[in-house]
Amino acid sequence: MTQAVQTVALGVLIGGVYALMAAGLTLVFGIMGIVNVAQGAFLVLVAMLTWKAWQVTGIDPILLALATTPLMFGVGWVLYRLVVVRVRASSPAMSMLLTFGIALTIEGLLNVTAGNYFRSATPPYFAQSFTIGSVVLPKAQVYGFLAALLVLGLLYLVLNRTWTGRAIRATAQNPSGAALVGISASTVAALSFAIGAATAGTGGSILAVLYPFFPASHYDWIAKLLGIIVLGGMGSLRGAWVGALILGLAETITATYGSPRWSTVVFYAVILLVLIVRPHGLFGTRLREDAVA
Amino acid sequence: MRERSVRLRLRALVACAALLVSAGCGGGGQAGGGGGPILIGTSLPLTGQFSQPGGEARRGYEIWRDRVNAAGGLLGRQVDLRVTDDASNQDTIIADYTKLITQDKVDLLLGSFSSLLNYAASAVAERNQMLFVEPAGAAPNMFTRGFKMLFFAQPATAPHHADGVTEWVKSLPEAQRPRTAAFITQDDPFTRPVIESLQRQLEAAGLRTVHSTVYPANTTNFQPIVSAAVAESPDLFAQGAQFEDGIGAVRALRQVGFSPKVFFQTNAPGNGNQYSDGVGKDATEGVLYSTSWSEAAKTPVNAEFAQEYRKRFNGPPTEDAADAFAAGQVLQEAVTKVGRIDQVALADWLRANEVPTILGPLRWAANGEPQSSYMVAQWQNGKVEVVSPKPAATTDRIVFPKPAWP
Amino acid sequence: MRWGAAVVLAALVAFPFVVPDATYEHTVMLLAFLVAIQAISWNIISGFAGYISLGHSVFLGIGAYTAGILSVEWDVNPLVLAPLSGVVAVVVALFVGSVVLRAKGPAFVIITIAMLLSFQVLAVNLPAVTNGSDGITLELPTWGRDVGNIPFYFMFLGLMVLAFGFSAWIRRTKFGTGLVAIREDEGKAAAIGIPTTLYKSLAYAASAFFVGVAGAVYAYFLTFLNPLGAFNILSSVTIVLAALVGGKGTLWGPVVGAFVVSFAGEAATVYGGGSQSRLLVFGLALVVIVLFLPDGLLPAVRRLFAKRHEVEHTDHTAARRPVTIVTRAPAEPRTDPLLEVRNARKAFGGLTAVDGVSLTVPTGSVTALIGPNGSGKTTLFNLVTGTGGAHTGEIRFDGERIDGLAPWARAHRGIGRTFQLTRLFKGMTVLENVVAPLAAFSPAVLASGAVTGHEADRARELLDLVGLGRFGAEPAGSLSYGQQKLVELAQVMVLQPRLVLLDEPAGGVHPDLVDRITGIVRAGAEQGITFLVVEHDIPLVLDLCDPVFVLDRGKVIASGPPGAIREDPAVLGAYLGEVSG
Repeated sequence: MTQAVQTVALGVLIGGVYALMAAGLTLVFGIMGIVNVAQGAFLVLVAMLTWKAWQVTGIDPILLALATTPLMFGVGWVLYRLVVVRVRASSPAMSMLLTFGIALTIEGLLNVTAGNYFRSATPPYFAQSFTIGSVVLPKAQVYGFLAALLVLGLLYLVLNRTWTGRAIRATAQNPSGAALVGISASTVAALSFAIGAATAGTGGSILAVLYPFFPASHYDWIAKLLGIIVLGGMGSLRGAWVGALILGLAETITATYGSPRWSTVVFYAVILLVLIVRPHGLFGTRLREDAVA
Repeated sequence: MRERSVRLRLRALVACAALLVSAGCGGGGQAGGGGGPILIGTSLPLTGQFSQPGGEARRGYEIWRDRVNAAGGLLGRQVDLRVTDDASNQDTIIADYTKLITQDKVDLLLGSFSSLLNYAASAVAERNQMLFVEPAGAAPNMFTRGFKMLFFAQPATAPHHADGVTEWVKSLPEAQRPRTAAFITQDDPFTRPVIESLQRQLEAAGLRTVHSTVYPANTTNFQPIVSAAVAESPDLFAQGAQFEDGIGAVRALRQVGFSPKVFFQTNAPGNGNQYSDGVGKDATEGVLYSTSWSEAAKTPVNAEFAQEYRKRFNGPPTEDAADAFAAGQVLQEAVTKVGRIDQVALADWLRANEVPTILGPLRWAANGEPQSSYMVAQWQNGKVEVVSPKPAATTDRIVFPKPAWP
Repeated sequence: MRWGAAVVLAALVAFPFVVPDATYEHTVMLLAFLVAIQAISWNIISGFAGYISLGHSVFLGIGAYTAGILSVEWDVNPLVLAPLSGVVAVVVALFVGSVVLRAKGPAFVIITIAMLLSFQVLAVNLPAVTNGSDGITLELPTWGRDVGNIPFYFMFLGLMVLAFGFSAWIRRTKFGTGLVAIREDEGKAAAIGIPTTLYKSLAYAASAFFVGVAGAVYAYFLTFLNPLGAFNILSSVTIVLAALVGGKGTLWGPVVGAFVVSFAGEAATVYGGGSQSRLLVFGLALVVIVLFLPDGLLPAVRRLFAKRHEVEHTDHTAARRPVTIVTRAPAEPRTDPLLEVRNARKAFGGLTAVDGVSLTVPTGSVTALIGPNGSGKTTLFNLVTGTGGAHTGEIRFDGERIDGLAPWARAHRGIGRTFQLTRLFKGMTVLENVVAPLAAFSPAVLASGAVTGHEADRARELLDLVGLGRFGAEPAGSLSYGQQKLVELAQVMVLQPRLVLLDEPAGGVHPDLVDRITGIVRAGAEQGITFLVVEHDIPLVLDLCDPVFVLDRGKVIASGPPGAIREDPAVLGAYLGEVSG
């Protein structure tokens, strides 16, 4: 019983962090129809920056998200304005190739500047745990989970309570309608790409504490994140939440009760099954395609 | 429009021909030829997935080359080392070794890093009847293909990597011996055979296996794996870890607050500061690992190698660089003793003789499989000490049982 | 073209004979052939049909593992197993495709990556079959040292030529045109009778075969297989990069691109001196090509040399020929309705676009469907043609219930449509557009030539009919909007339809062309074709159509002969309400 509670608790903690990382990816897709394959590379890039800053200054890595998040917002904004905007009119596949190119470039840059080594930040609490009864909750996971929750909450508030957020959601649902009421589609696109990158800012700082990483780690991360949003339904924030929790639980449960080597297969199998039943994922919706008149 | 693409196609062909010609002209030294330098070729993963060990191997080879040249060269000729980058890619490494052999006409080859690349590379060498001394590639299947030119310049293959640990456990008084053991390993062609073999040996020595699991190479989340492994409080905990997974597992162990009496990992603890930074310096106390090399080991030339490495690269020498250096030593010994560059004669000589290296003395079976044994090392007081075998050992003391995590 | 290709091929064949001991060059070339085989094959699903696969080297791995496992198991040479490897790759592609090809656009790309990773995981985790992460070692090639890699050179060269021939043949068939149609506009392709699901699955299978065969040879070449090398994402990206560099969707692009990318990679190895920047360069190259050379080298070069020519946008003076239209059933007076919609309801989220509509279209009539913007007319069209997704209610065509049928099946039964904003395949010529529709489907259709004599004649006749006979060879995208509407009409007529749905045929069209269109509609009606017309030009509707149905907010608010509609206060209210609101 304790083991079951422990397993589920760990799955939820890790799922929350996955949710944050996937939220930016699904948001960008929902609004722009672009799958940002570079999201994983953003995470690793930020993790590297966080690690370096922590090494030099000794500031807590998760607290460093206060700096990396706005930084990545800026990076996302600039990257969109300079590069990504050029493929908005192209097919989704071309924009995926472009962001894949960006991901390789980031990996290459990290290789050249930081070297092909594993790193991980080790603040004092990294090996400590909270114990509730006989359930052990590692402090790093808990802090990471709380930070992810906080940023997801902020994201929710921004999207639902601010004019900007409503403009973003309006654009996602009906671009031409949004344009009619004076929302600049290109500003919204830049904003959402920047917000997507900003979630990678927080996510990357958390990653720096939770897992060792090196430049090529981004393949593993993007594979996870893509799986999550395909499962949840591309473009759906709720779907990202649910997909992330399913992945977190699938990982911990197969590792505890089965063999960890099958956790990836189990997760992909779940995705395939869901797609057979619901081609648009758990929360994917079809918008009215003929709504031109 | 159609004609234009013809022209383009022709231009492509011309360009391709030009490339081939220029590549052909670029090809260097001819074989044999009295007093010119001896050309030694290798292809290493300087970029891509295996670039970390690849870069270290290059350092080891270069230190070896400069040492040989400073001492007057091989057979009185200077050694010219040609290193190409295979980008951790099997196709490229085949093209690379083919180029080294057939176009650059190198006199001798040195191997690459990681079994995955050496599988493909050694086949090219074998087909061209070139001696292939590899500094890595411990997967047992390397030696089941009946190759005659392949020699692995480490003490033994993976299944024998942890033999020293078994010996030590057996040497403990009956009352103190660990009774139960848990084994986890990355699904990796090197680490898995080490742990599987260790498990068999320890079971034969009377230990009871309470848990054993294999996890995929890209695993990041170690809490569930470690939680499941320590559920029955094993006395001995062994992990087949490359690097990041070794760090991850130690962190998870500390987080769940379980400290086994004996803690053994493969490669990870051999990474010096990177390892102690990753797990926390005070958490290294008592961690055991097996290794082909240690800076502290009292083997011939080892101190010079380490000193030279520190001087050049301003950091602690690594096992990968040492293995590469040792591969150079093997080649050097064979050429010097045979007295000429005759690939088959060199291979025959290596099969019949023992070579002293900084890893200790090496000798080989007919299939190129090494027949020595690895060192066992332990982190003590923030430093690595060699605890066995006796000739290489730097201390008599073994920390046992391992103290609790700080 | 052929001549030039023959020269190059002859040079490639002669190369090993001229310089037999250049093993390194042979090796570099054969690895380029291997990339070319994969890029050519990738081009079938991703270039022709537009479904980008980012995990295409999965089939190389599957082929290699098939040969590797079975050659050890049965103790035979892996080369013997090459055809079988191709078949296994095809079977996997068909199976996976049946699931994967339901997803469109980005989801498909993601799933192809996931598939590659899944196979890698399977290869690692099924050690009983694949020997796990240790991999499989194979015997060294049996031929002598002095031959070097020449046998592999010719095997890969041969496979490359075969793969190219296969791809070129596909492009010339109706199957190939159908794939391009799917790439350009999948919904439209389905509407003109192309069984898109089947086509995509076949294209995916076709794109797997030669890669699978090459995989077997590759296994023997490597002499060693392991999950990481066999299922490698970077190899997949290399394929895509090669095809992009050369020009995806073109015949020669993937070949040229494969050589450019392979040689560039080898040059980087030889001259780059193992710098850490290789990946950086690779990534930047991808970015630059997507941004500045999205069509690839070949099309860019062609554009550079192509003469600029203007298309004449007016053809209003073409001879008015007596209009004759071929129909599939001789017109006979009938009383029962051809199309019957009963209580159809379709909602998008909270918005009910079609709200319990019932209407009947009498056989041989020109029926109109009018109503303000957003009243659900186009949605109703989509329900009738089968592109509107799930809905409630019944739709019967000629007495048969059709609401469960795929769009193309409805097209085969004789339902054709035009679109509000024309949806021609802009990358094809006008003539190709007109021969693209399939009035019926049988397996023989797949292999038949795309533009055969008989069909081309018929297509030209129809183009003459709509007055655009001179434009057959022009790219469809270069025509004026009104001309595009006429081409679309000709396209529909190729289906030999019994019912034609016209979505705003007069919208945005020059008045002279409107006359041409109404003339065709009248002539068609005389031949027994039934029309259902959505149109905003009320005078035109009242002149041309009978009966008329009026939709407002998803409901039928009036119906009857034009005279009655003109006087109906509810209709006036609906339109006035729209104006004032």
